Amino acid sequence: MRRRSRALALVVGLAVVAPLAACAGEGSGTPKLIWYINPDDGGQAAIAKECTEQAGGAYKLEVSVLPRDASAQREQLARRLAAADSSIDIMSLDPPFIPEMAEPGFLAPVPDDVAERVSKDVVAGALAGATWNDKLVTVPFWANTQLLWYRKSVAAAAGLDPSKTPVTWDQIMTAAKDQDKYLAVQGTKAESLTVWINALVASAGGQIIENPEAPADEITLGLDSPAGEAAATIIGTIGKENLGGPGLPTEDEGASLSVFQGDKGSFMVNWPFVWSATKAGVEDGTFPQALLDDFGWALYPQVTADQESAPPYGGINLGIGAYSKHVDLAFQAAECIVTPEHQATYFATNGNPPSNTTAYDDPAVKEAFPMADVIRESLELAAPRPQTPYYNEVSTGLQQTWHPPSSVNPGTTPKESTDLITAVLRGEQLL
Amino acid sequence: MSTASAGAGAVRAQVPSGAPPDLRDAAAKAGRSDRAKSEARLGWLLAGPAFVVMLSVTLYPIIQAFFDSLYHYRLTAPDDKRWAGLSNYAVVLTDPIFWQALGVTLFITVITVVCELILGFALALVMHGAIKSLRGLLRTAILVPYGIITVVSAFAWFYAFDINSGFINHWFAWVPGISEDLNWFASQGTSLVVIIMSEIWKTTPFISLLLLAGLSQVPTELEEAAEVDGATWWQRLTRVVLPNMKAAIMVAVLFRTLDAFRIFDNVFIMTNGANGTEVLSLLTYRTSIGRLEIGLGSALSVLLFLCVILICWIAIKLFKVDLAGGARGAS
Amino acid sequence: MRQLSTRAKWGWGLITVFVITYALFPVVSIFATSFKLPSQLNLGTFWPKTWSTTNYEQILAPDGSAQTLFLSSLRNSVGICLIATGIAVVLATLAAYAIARLDFPGKRVVLLTALGVSIFPVISIVTPLFNLWRQIGLYDTWLGLIIPYLSLTLPISIWTLAAFFRQIPWELEQAAQVDGATTWQAFRKAIIPLAAPGVFTTALIAFFIAWNDFVYGISLTSTDRARPVPAALAFFTGASQFEEPTGAISAAAIVVTIPVVILVLLFQRQIVSGLTQGAVKG
Repeated sequence: MRRRSRALALVVGLAVVAPLAACAGEGSGTPKLIWYINPDDGGQAAIAKECTEQAGGAYKLEVSVLPRDASAQREQLARRLAAADSSIDIMSLDPPFIPEMAEPGFLAPVPDDVAERVSKDVVAGALAGATWNDKLVTVPFWANTQLLWYRKSVAAAAGLDPSKTPVTWDQIMTAAKDQDKYLAVQGTKAESLTVWINALVASAGGQIIENPEAPADEITLGLDSPAGEAAATIIGTIGKENLGGPGLPTEDEGASLSVFQGDKGSFMVNWPFVWSATKAGVEDGTFPQALLDDFGWALYPQVTADQESAPPYGGINLGIGAYSKHVDLAFQAAECIVTPEHQATYFATNGNPPSNTTAYDDPAVKEAFPMADVIRESLELAAPRPQTPYYNEVSTGLQQTWHPPSSVNPGTTPKESTDLITAVLRGEQLL
Repeated sequence: MSTASAGAGAVRAQVPSGAPPDLRDAAAKAGRSDRAKSEARLGWLLAGPAFVVMLSVTLYPIIQAFFDSLYHYRLTAPDDKRWAGLSNYAVVLTDPIFWQALGVTLFITVITVVCELILGFALALVMHGAIKSLRGLLRTAILVPYGIITVVSAFAWFYAFDINSGFINHWFAWVPGISEDLNWFASQGTSLVVIIMSEIWKTTPFISLLLLAGLSQVPTELEEAAEVDGATWWQRLTRVVLPNMKAAIMVAVLFRTLDAFRIFDNVFIMTNGANGTEVLSLLTYRTSIGRLEIGLGSALSVLLFLCVILICWIAIKLFKVDLAGGARGAS
Repeated sequence: MRQLSTRAKWGWGLITVFVITYALFPVVSIFATSFKLPSQLNLGTFWPKTWSTTNYEQILAPDGSAQTLFLSSLRNSVGICLIATGIAVVLATLAAYAIARLDFPGKRVVLLTALGVSIFPVISIVTPLFNLWRQIGLYDTWLGLIIPYLSLTLPISIWTLAAFFRQIPWELEQAAQVDGATTWQAFRKAIIPLAAPGVFTTALIAFFIAWNDFVYGISLTSTDRARPVPAALAFFTGASQFEEPTGAISAAAIVVTIPVVILVLLFQRQIVSGLTQGAVKG
């Protein structure tokens, strides 16, 4: 009986272990590079394919998709890098999260010659976003910026022509109110809210963090200032006076676009994808051509009439994993990915604007995006979000205190968020 | 042994299990004792692997979490790990965000369990009493929510109520308080309504099956006798059926309470904690996995664990839930 | 069986309609959404204006943008859940046999441990597991999910199987033993055929539970290598990263729900009896 039970135990043991051994390794051959990409319409995968072909066997570039949400992308990558994961070769990084990755040495240093080549002809904002502690730490890929989109009919009725003279937030708010229309802005509790707050604060001449390179407990916030108040006034008024419509507290970029396309659409701040998305809607018959013809575009609205706006800056830079087994090849692949030709095709097919100015001269770009020149101009003016290794805390802290928009109060909200973020950075509070 | 140890101790203390084993052994004849020994050995050989696996996937991590909770430790600054004592707990327990999350979690738990109990009992009665030709159909329908992934349920409810893609506002625009412009996910109350509805929809089948088990144990003679005595349906239900399945109801409630207390999926998908809908599990997740603050996150994990123990303890001590009822058959 | 009056028939008909509406409404709703054109998602109608399979192409067709994401997660989910279920059922069968059949000290401890593990707050052990997994290289692997999934599948398997085994006529085993068979032979020849249906039902229930997991799935994986379906649903995207992936998510939701509905249709009787017997009885 005893032997039997031992045999039984052995069977149990095998049953547990056997399936686990099934995870087999990879054969060698051409080095495989894995590129972690943010989701898109297949553009990065196409580029990866082309680069693999061009490399002629030097490497094989494969993509692996990250989550849709910017902060979730950061989460995934930071987790893996903290595990010193050698399978991360190239990463598509959202600029605000670059310092957090660069600071603990998660990013492989960019060789000087590569840095020189990939910085050539790159718009200032994108270059700044790719830099940490005065060193280029990532390779600029594409650069995004928000424009002011408007329905020509509504703007005309309100007596505005944003394409000729820059408009202010006050003007578009009044216009929306008078015309009984909705402003399309991103009021949902997500990264897009931080983008909006940052653009407003920067357009008012302020900055969210005064000393972004300081250690966590010495960071000073610049929100409790006239610029912070100006931003809070705009967001609070749009929220309280229902200028954004009932959907505002859950409105992300996609939802903003549907508000703008609807009967109550008037003005919208949003990324250029709105153009290709609406065009696709016209092509499959959902929208009339007249809707697309009614689309106008201009630079991001100003906070005050006498000061140029500082539009949001976004996009993707390529970081090379410090623990990658093929750092050299990864830089080689990154250089292939960001050639102006690839950037131009990517813009035309996926709607993500190039960071390289020469890519804007491509005829395909002009045809797909008639507003390419405005985008390029906007990129030169764009202000990045605070570049600090604690960006996640700062951004989440802003979202906790500035949401919903109707609760934002110029007298109290900037101070509240300053207190919360400061306490969190000192480890005195949860987030 | 974590929850189980506390649970086991508490339950054992109150369930009379006859004479202590050692006395029984002493009374046993030598031959029988040998047999008992080999039976015990075989018993542990068979049950041991499962037991060890269960302990190692829960006991080890929770102990580890307790150790981690005593440090300031952030994953993106690995060199900066330092001793924190109980200060992580102090930060958590003095923070209104924690108490708010605890309050929301308890609120969701209470409402869902009460609604599910009523609805689940109704469904159990339906399944129990259904005529043969319908029984299969009804059971199949009720089991569908049980089998569906919670995340799928969350998306289904979210899309139905969403101000952009939803149709609920169009359908129910005639109901006072609902209009085309109602944004369900813009305020705490309405967000919680949808979250709770999704949770109830998904888990009621489970509670109703637990109740069905209790229902099928009510002696039919008692019910028939009451019927002969001229008791109405309601009287039979409240006087005969319910008292006879009290234990089953208590166990079902405790199980669902603990399950509802760890609600995560629905909140994560629908609001991700916006508008004061943050629950404890989500707060823990955001702190340890999102912010990579392992120290603070572990403190939250331990506190969440203690909450579960506390609920168990309250149920067992105050409400005398007989968790070991099922074990009785075994002994 | 007593004869039903017309009124009772109508009553039951009404109840049936009501129950079916309750149970299937959200499923039908997401089914309808999955056939909407991306540009028509926001029309506010229940049924699609134009029925389109675009969303299914996106997740299933070879050139669909979410095809690799979805199919690899489907493969992971099926594989991981089957293995976790398999291990759990094997271990639970042995344990449940011991519990139902043998008298040994600590039997109750095993049962109560199972109970304790099944009510354990999952999120509490995610942080330490994540930290340990990344150190020993289990992060983002199948094994890294299979192990924690055992904490979900083992307890319920033990309870359900113990309940099943208690109802098996063990005299057969004794009879076999009298005929000269050993315990093991008796178990194999006389009991396994009787126990098989219970084991199968248990496997089904355990599989549902593993299939449903989300917390472990999002916390302990980060690529196609091990990411299960519920976690992958949160990764879908529209034509650009700013557009709502409503259609693709709905289509994927329907694809992963179909097997569940089929299993429920085929085995509703077994699942109900499995769950009600395994349930803690008063």
